[in-house]
Amino acid sequence: MKKRGKGIACIFYGTGYGNGFPDVSRAYARLLEDGRVEISVGATEVGQGAKTVMVQIAAETLGLLDKDIVLINEDTSKTPDAGTAAASRQTYNTGNAVKIACENLKEKILEDAAKLLGVNTKVGLCMKDGLIYVKSYPSKKVSLKEIAELNKDLQAEGVFTAHTTQMDENGQGAPYWPYTFASCAVEVEVDTETGEVSILRAKHVLDVGRAVNPSLVEGQIDGGFAMGVGYALMEDIGLKDGKMTNGSFEKYIIPTALDIPEIEKVLIEYPEDTAPYGAKGIGEPVMIPVAPAILNAIYDAIGVRFYEIPVTPERVLLALQSKG
Amino acid sequence: MILKKIEVNINGRDYCLDVEENLRLIDLLRDKLKLTGTKEGCGEGECGACTVIMGGKIVNSCLVLAFQADKSRIITIEGIEEDDVIKNSFIEEGAVQCGFCTPGMVLAAKSLLDKNLNPTEEEIREAISGNLCRCTGYNKIVSAVKKAAKLKRGGDGE
Repeated sequence: MKKRGKGIACIFYGTGYGNGFPDVSRAYARLLEDGRVEISVGATEVGQGAKTVMVQIAAETLGLLDKDIVLINEDTSKTPDAGTAAASRQTYNTGNAVKIACENLKEKILEDAAKLLGVNTKVGLCMKDGLIYVKSYPSKKVSLKEIAELNKDLQAEGVFTAHTTQMDENGQGAPYWPYTFASCAVEVEVDTETGEVSILRAKHVLDVGRAVNPSLVEGQIDGGFAMGVGYALMEDIGLKDGKMTNGSFEKYIIPTALDIPEIEKVLIEYPEDTAPYGAKGIGEPVMIPVAPAILNAIYDAIGVRFYEIPVTPERVLLALQSKG
Repeated sequence: MILKKIEVNINGRDYCLDVEENLRLIDLLRDKLKLTGTKEGCGEGECGACTVIMGGKIVNSCLVLAFQADKSRIITIEGIEEDDVIKNSFIEEGAVQCGFCTPGMVLAAKSLLDKNLNPTEEEIREAISGNLCRCTGYNKIVSAVKKAAKLKRGGDGE
């Protein structure tokens, strides 16, 4: 018999290293001779989109197009340390460092521009599309290229340190900032003859602060959801006497395209004050509610609570047998 | 070492090669012919990263011996045109994250669309189910294949 059930789970997750561990990102910004801006940053791209996001944040801060940003990353001879691509921290931490570096560079550029344009202060200046102009008198302008030709040493650093304090001996304190919130709902079908669980439908709601790149966020939700499905239903390294017994994809089963439903995604944009343009880390938070939502749905379907994962067909059948 | 002489057409180019009889197809492609777009994942036919099209069918090139490719036509990711519809759809739909599964996914999609220009979602998922991906959760890959199918049928892909 096939039985259906629905489940939901909600989580919060502190991004960054946390618990007092130093969490620092650095970035350099430099005006190139042709008027483009070079950003040097050590944020590792592993497919999550760090390169894209850093370019977007730099372009937004400097009023430039993405194509006017030259990104140097993952080159230890040139780039400052931006910490690891872990703890869902690159968009928030390193994004902040890139934004600060660009703001510092912009101030220096505006100082030069004020002198060149013969205005008494940089307050009345605007920087957009590679031009600096007087807000109230836009034809009075100078280009980034002209500024670069006159001053070959326009560069700035951005440093951002995330808030984190060590918890006290009772486990109390403020170990992280900020927190990302997520909620996942699934409908499953449990085959009581084979013990197989299939996910029929899924919805994922994620508080992202601000989606710098919505398509990348969707990609992270899809990927995290699939990992959550594997975690809940399939993946088991089979540790025995300190050794993995499921050391290949023949035995360590991960989801294929057939195991994953389409996911309805909702991005909640409630900007975080301390984040670059409000954007929080979302990499890990997407995965966390998936397994509990699935286990709740299984309970709804067959009335069995599982306290051990993965919920493999064997475990479902054993549980149904002992339930009687 | 016993050498076997094979004739093989790879990406439209004819090769006449002497290969060791225990040489795998993936090693011929990557090490001898420097076609390194084909990736080796698990090396035991489970992950599909090394997928190539041989005689119109997708195979795991880690499980095929090079001499078995004698007299066959092979398409690797390098044989996919720069402006290929499937490739562009993958880019436009954001179907690539780390990229390691991508060559195999594109070829699995091509193999499907070469035979069926109007696949259902289930058929697309079935066609790429031999290719594991740890990053994308597959959904954007499925969207990319749907889009490519529509474009190949003459629609606008939307």
